[in-house]
Amino acid sequence: MKKYNLILLLVVALFASCMEEPIVEPNTNMGNFESLWRIIDTKYCYLDYKQINWDSIYTAYKAKITEKADAFVFFDLMGIMLNELKDGHVNLYSNFDRSRYWKWYTDYPANFNVNLIHSARYLGNNYKIANGLSYQKIANGRVGYIYLGSFSYGFNDANIVSALNYFKDCKGLIIDVRNNSGGSLDYSRQLTSCFFKEEKVTGYIKHKIGNGHTDFSKALEVKTPAHKYIQYLRQVVVLTNRMSFSATNDFVNRMKQAPNVLVVGDKTGGGGGLPLSSELPNGWLVRFSSSPMFDSDMQNIEWGIEPDVRESLKSYDQLNDIDTIIEKAITLIK
Amino acid sequence: MKKCLIYILSMLSCFATAQTTNEQKYLLTSASNTLGYSVTDFIDPYLSPLTYSGSGIGYNFQSQRFLSIENTRISKFQKLSLLAGKAYNPPHTASMSYFGVNYGWGMRCHLQPINRFRVQLGGLWDLDFMFKYLARNVNNPVNVDLGTNLNVSGSATYDISLFRKNMKLKLDVKSPVLGCMFVPYSGASYYEMFGLGNLDNILHFSSLHNKRGVDANLMLEIQLRSTVWRVGLGYESMKWEANDLIFKRNNLSLKIASVFDFATFAGHKKRAPSNFISPNE
Repeated sequence: MKKYNLILLLVVALFASCMEEPIVEPNTNMGNFESLWRIIDTKYCYLDYKQINWDSIYTAYKAKITEKADAFVFFDLMGIMLNELKDGHVNLYSNFDRSRYWKWYTDYPANFNVNLIHSARYLGNNYKIANGLSYQKIANGRVGYIYLGSFSYGFNDANIVSALNYFKDCKGLIIDVRNNSGGSLDYSRQLTSCFFKEEKVTGYIKHKIGNGHTDFSKALEVKTPAHKYIQYLRQVVVLTNRMSFSATNDFVNRMKQAPNVLVVGDKTGGGGGLPLSSELPNGWLVRFSSSPMFDSDMQNIEWGIEPDVRESLKSYDQLNDIDTIIEKAITLIK
Repeated sequence: MKKCLIYILSMLSCFATAQTTNEQKYLLTSASNTLGYSVTDFIDPYLSPLTYSGSGIGYNFQSQRFLSIENTRISKFQKLSLLAGKAYNPPHTASMSYFGVNYGWGMRCHLQPINRFRVQLGGLWDLDFMFKYLARNVNNPVNVDLGTNLNVSGSATYDISLFRKNMKLKLDVKSPVLGCMFVPYSGASYYEMFGLGNLDNILHFSSLHNKRGVDANLMLEIQLRSTVWRVGLGYESMKWEANDLIFKRNNLSLKIASVFDFATFAGHKKRAPSNFISPNE
């Protein structure tokens, strides 16, 4: 009889460990506000690092919520609340709008003029296009120049080989990632691997493992391998500005640790947190930084990466169709 | 003459009995192909905190046979189920496509406690896979339910006669008891797990404390001319938890199945009898 009692007790204990589903807020303005606030409170990765008092923000914005506000007004208010995070990776998406924080580059000099790089001095009219790579020989054929406007367009090894073969007589290479606001981290890794002689730990990444602001996994090494077939070990200069963001930030972080590579221009825009998504009861999507990324010294790269040589676009150079930052890079390639 | 006739008849009767006794027995495999239309609810907090609801179609193949001619108390069976469909969040602003496969292998003991009522009890090992794709998500557009379970499995069949037809009412149930499942942290992207190799804490032991559910089918089997059909309802309710995430899958389906028996012959040992004609001769 005792044996049966014990079994019964065990079964009751197993079923008593009930799995309580999290509460889904109602689809009201207040419910959607509560839901959005909680998603950021439990999943956003930089609340502590940026010293943001998210509880105060809750109090301040809760007072502004009314059920009378229409979807546009409520959306704008939630967008303003999210902008308190000062993060270009944080957006709210609805059927009618997308909230965004752009001060990571609008508050700084552009240091990029698309007309300049397409002038005869640089890309000109007859530049080559291999998927996402636009390239041309500049400085009387002495330097190879690649403009990479996005890590979303994609390229493959054959594209890289073609461009590097085209530059085989050049002394060095300029990779311009100004105004490249990111894309796929895989492309960043693929391209940087061509400039490494051997695999190297170029950074670290963590992810949230709990709802607390400091509940992170242990740091995982992010390695940049040496490409099996493509090795370019001449001088390389990477050009950056404040719009070099997200996957481009990752690219610059990796490239800074490659041999024979210098970064020239402005500090990158940052975006060091890998973003994930969630949803509100009304179906709006929220994107937020979830996994913080670090450089090889375990320094956060959320606020951007400093160049090795700081240079800015001079207005009098622009008047003469000269890109000051490209010219600086040319002088650094000997 | 009369004596002679009796002798011949008795000899014939003996011969007929001998023929019956020496007749070769064959194990039949009972199989069914099932098609179903299902409505499904998902909660997958890795993809969204909202409940996604939708519909899809399913296919199931099941076969069962006794272990041997001598042992007709224990049977082995296997199941293969496929499910695919599309589900929407409550405000219909996003859709999730899903595709699932479940393969199971088990054994059951056959009992007949009362006339016209048969029970099968046993265990089933299964491998469960469900791929869910929420296209608009960034860096977490996909999640996979992957798990393997030891289930208790059983069925109850009751023979009924309705409208001068012999029918069978069959209830088939399975429920997971022990197993192992893949559940990532909500903050870990697939890029980090499979691109960078951070596989910490993604595999979890499962038992009744963190995975509970039932998969049941209530079917009515009807013989129509030279075919056997089953129609009925399927219901699956599964709930599991790991890494502070609670997942749910509810599925209600309308099913129709065709049932058939077959025997297999292959190789030297299981050669087909000479009165069987094969195109492979």
